Amino acid sequence: MDSVLGNWPSYDPHNFSQLRTSDPSRSSKMAPATYHSIHNRDVPPADQVINTEHKNILLREIYRRAEEKIDLIALPSPSQLTPKRAASDNLIPEHGSKQPRVST
Amino acid sequence: MSIWNYVVTAHKPTNVTHSCVGNFTSPQDLNLIIAKCTRVEIHLLTPQGLQPMLDVPIYGRIATLELFRSHGEAQDFLFIATERYKFCVLQWDSETSELVTRAMGDVSDRIGRATDNGQIGIIDPDCRLIGLHLYDGLFKVIPFDNRGQLKEAFNIRLEELQVLDIKFLYGCSKPTIVVLYQDNKDARHAKTYEVSLKDKDFVEGPWSQNNLDNGADLLIPVPPPLCGVLIIGEETIVYCSANAFKAIPIRPSITKAYGRVDPDGSRYLLGDHTGLLSLLVITHEKEKVTGLKIEPLGETSIASTISYLDNAFVYIGSSYGDSQLIKLNQQPDAKGSYVEVLERYVNLGPIVDFCVVDLERQGQGQVVTCSGAYKDGSLRVVRNGIGINEQASVELQGIKGMWSLRSSTDDLFDTFLVVSFISETRILAMNLEDELEETEIEGFCSQVQSLSCHDAVHNQLVQVTSSSVRLVSSTTRELRNEWHAPSGYSINVATANATQVLLATGGGHLVYLEIGDGILQEIKHAQLEYEISCLDINPIGENPNHSNLAAVGMWTDISVRIFSLPDLNLITKEPLGGEIIPRSVLLCAFEGISYLLCALGDGHLLNFLLNTSTGELTDRKKVSLGTQPITLRTFSSKNTTHVFAASDRPTVIYSSNKKLLYSNVNLKEVSHMCPFNSAAFPDSLAIAKEGELTIGTIDDIQKLHIRSIPLGEHARRICHQEQSRTFAICSLKYNPSAEEPETHFVRLLDDQTFEFISTYPLDTYEYGCFIISCSFSDDSNVYYCVGTAYVLPEENEPSKGRILVFAVEDGKLQLIAEKETKGAVYCLNAFNGKLLAAINQKIQLYKWVLRDDGTHELQSECGHHGHILALYVQTRGDFIVVGDLMKSISLLIYKHEEGAIEERARDYNANWMSAVEILDDDIYLGAENSFNLFTVRKNSEGATDEERGRLEVVGEYHLGEFINRFRHGSLVMRLPDSEVGQIPTVIFGTINGVIGVIASLPHDQYVFLEKLQSSLRKVIKGVGGLSHEQWRSFSNDKKTVEARNFLDGDLIESFLDLNRNKMDEVSQAVGVSVEELCKRVEELTRLH
Repeated sequence: MDSVLGNWPSYDPHNFSQLRTSDPSRSSKMAPATYHSIHNRDVPPADQVINTEHKNILLREIYRRAEEKIDLIALPSPSQLTPKRAASDNLIPEHGSKQPRVST
Repeated sequence: MSIWNYVVTAHKPTNVTHSCVGNFTSPQDLNLIIAKCTRVEIHLLTPQGLQPMLDVPIYGRIATLELFRSHGEAQDFLFIATERYKFCVLQWDSETSELVTRAMGDVSDRIGRATDNGQIGIIDPDCRLIGLHLYDGLFKVIPFDNRGQLKEAFNIRLEELQVLDIKFLYGCSKPTIVVLYQDNKDARHAKTYEVSLKDKDFVEGPWSQNNLDNGADLLIPVPPPLCGVLIIGEETIVYCSANAFKAIPIRPSITKAYGRVDPDGSRYLLGDHTGLLSLLVITHEKEKVTGLKIEPLGETSIASTISYLDNAFVYIGSSYGDSQLIKLNQQPDAKGSYVEVLERYVNLGPIVDFCVVDLERQGQGQVVTCSGAYKDGSLRVVRNGIGINEQASVELQGIKGMWSLRSSTDDLFDTFLVVSFISETRILAMNLEDELEETEIEGFCSQVQSLSCHDAVHNQLVQVTSSSVRLVSSTTRELRNEWHAPSGYSINVATANATQVLLATGGGHLVYLEIGDGILQEIKHAQLEYEISCLDINPIGENPNHSNLAAVGMWTDISVRIFSLPDLNLITKEPLGGEIIPRSVLLCAFEGISYLLCALGDGHLLNFLLNTSTGELTDRKKVSLGTQPITLRTFSSKNTTHVFAASDRPTVIYSSNKKLLYSNVNLKEVSHMCPFNSAAFPDSLAIAKEGELTIGTIDDIQKLHIRSIPLGEHARRICHQEQSRTFAICSLKYNPSAEEPETHFVRLLDDQTFEFISTYPLDTYEYGCFIISCSFSDDSNVYYCVGTAYVLPEENEPSKGRILVFAVEDGKLQLIAEKETKGAVYCLNAFNGKLLAAINQKIQLYKWVLRDDGTHELQSECGHHGHILALYVQTRGDFIVVGDLMKSISLLIYKHEEGAIEERARDYNANWMSAVEILDDDIYLGAENSFNLFTVRKNSEGATDEERGRLEVVGEYHLGEFINRFRHGSLVMRLPDSEVGQIPTVIFGTINGVIGVIASLPHDQYVFLEKLQSSLRKVIKGVGGLSHEQWRSFSNDKKTVEARNFLDGDLIESFLDLNRNKMDEVSQAVGVSVEELCKRVEELTRLH
């Protein structure tokens, strides 16, 4: 037990050296002064008033992906990646049910 | 109408929620910083111990408190985040002693589900970013730039939805968090992520660890050189890093708090739910972790926070008991504990219930709280004002003045007590048996009234009578010299110190004498234009025996004047205004500041700052202490000087943090007081009151006195019974090792000794939910009625409970009747000679019926359905106000003829209630679980049924405290003739240990104070730039609206803490003089 219970870290060896051990059943009575902020330094510089970026996390993700893809398109090695299909290749949507019915 | 309410704190929060240690107030200072929910306390570590520096109110409930060291800085900054999603970074400017806001902001998101397990706020150890987990599925990042400035925050999607803890890892090239979470099969895992600031996203981290202890709840990051993280479970502790995994089993326990001991992270203090403190050691060979070891050290309060301070001293912050300063010893004590408790810091929280009683029957309420939880449960008796502990008393009528005298100049103790009457002077002294007996000082004239007496230099005593000043040897007790008033003149008032006498005769003659060895010398005479009403030459300069100034109060022009001594030159003349003459003046000094106090004949007291070199009087303030003339005297207690103001409302005037404070003395009327420091009664006071002379010691000089009665179990409900002079409590005792870990009791306590005198154990699984003292129609006995619930593990809502009716017979609880109920009895009220119970969804009325065999039983009369859970019920006449679990307040009425209870009106808001109270016939007060207060009004004049059926919300306010209980009553003695005595008050108790007062003000006073409050908002700003208006706005999940019809008394009363310039600023904005403002605000402070 001694091995782990000794050698307590000390920042300033004087700290607590003159602590008068009052009766611990009595509570400590010292009350600090109440601080009131009556100066003008309660407001930080304008650039340190922080808010969360307005861009929604989902939109940010979509934009990021879109940007990535643009970057990828710009890359000269399309063989490794699936390039975006050109819109003109596939004008008919996959879900035919959303097309007006020809039969009627 | 009780619409206009003033909310003020009588006892500040004491529940310690966070603590940290660092160099905050200067690079050399080591500070302990403590959060008590809405307040931050800054302490300094000194050789003498913890020295409190500041108590900082924060306009928010603190969710995170962290110290951090920004790049290139010599001292730490304080990061605070609040539950309403505000944050600030504070820096201490030691030159101006100001808290400077370095950064602040709003981190709320418009969409998001608040986390169930509370908010998490962490700072990267390399200060690259602040991380916040506020909403499920989101991790917010506030990045630092390389100059330590904060940048715009952004969110990252966090896949883990049930997060238990998040910490930053040390020693990572990129900021890396470790997330402890639970999956949807309730298994717990830890996972690491790197935060990519560029991509604003997570990158898979260096390691993860699946299937941890099912109770794993806490992460402790380990600093370099070891790095990695400790995962604290209920049965195991695990050390984890990218290349090591060590685990040890522990005795089953729930770790509530930890504190790192060594900067290299090899030892940690862990505090568990039973208050056991353990030391966790990481054994290592150089940088390689070889194992873990845990050693129990001893018992403390149940810790909510642990901070290692210095040199083996540790701060234990507690939510459930008193916080403590402990020392870790190398050798165990007799009980095998390595923990030595050196100081306790009072914590009333959580106040689960309380009652207001007048135990000493002095006409003053005391609050008795059910405080603390588990093993740290206790009752606390909270009393306002200063008590006198009577040591001796003797009947003596007509005392006109009292002075204590020593038998020699060097004597440490007083020997004689001179008591003056209208036509004689009697001398009392302590005899050898330490009894007070009458004696004589031969040189004194005992056939006349004494105007003043004093010890004088050279073993002499001075007596001033209407005709002469007598100088007497204190050893031979013989007359040595006498100064006679000129014939035709009699001395009216006189005062003396050890070397000087100042007296006034009729005709405005002021005479100054000096005391030599056996000689009284008239030094100076001055003729004033009016009669003199009072005098003082109390030495406040460097020489304790001699004064350079004299204070003189005048008739006719109603002024107070300062003269220089010995030449009696008039230095200052201060007209007092009004028509009331000064009756007592006193020169005094507190904490190095000199004052002139001047008491008027109508119970008002003026105080001025006194410049002792120029005699100038400034900063005049006026307070009302009572209604009768006041006599001022100084006295010492614990080596500090205070002033006693004797009047119909005796008051002690003292100074704290260089501000004068006034505390009531718990005595009815005191005509005279003098300090009497005898060997038998050291540090005592002699007090003349109501035909009696009392010698007594005085309590510590402070406003609130708290007495603790540790119970070792958790009291949940309390009630007082005047007739049997007992308290009854519902309590529960935890015994984790037993088969049934909780046992519930009804206990009876003596109201003087607070000892358990009788106990009624409840059944297995049966909880005591409520207790009242009441009586029934046609039965003169008084009973305790207890409502209970059977809380069965398999039931969501109790389906069975009991009402137990006890009588106190020979100091024992006797069960007289019991009635089974179909649910939990959440509340009981005495109602029209019957018993009104709230049972689950129902309000049920029982009558007390005499059976043929002469016994009584509770018989159901009628009821009312229609609540989710009727938790809190108050009644007034035939009206019943119900606070529902989630349906706010409703108003019911009992119809006698029909024998039915019907709903009259309700508030249609969905407030989750925590307490209700009836303020008056029409206004009801509610507290809800988002820490708000509100009032609703019965709308009897509504044109339609629909309007009449609606309780109109008339007041809303964010208190920031969870109220468990309201009670009508007052903490202070209420004098019917004082203005404040007319104001009805309600006391509340909260989880954080706050005792507060809600006072219903007259409308004109409310309007005036509202104006003052809005002016004060501009002068006293929120620390960290937090807005007072936003803080006090009513806010819950559904809405946020501006506060109305409630005033923040804490802000208003802080006017008295302002310096003169700021007071002037406020005074100009309000258009009322500083003196008037001080007086009116000071009066409000007397509400609590």
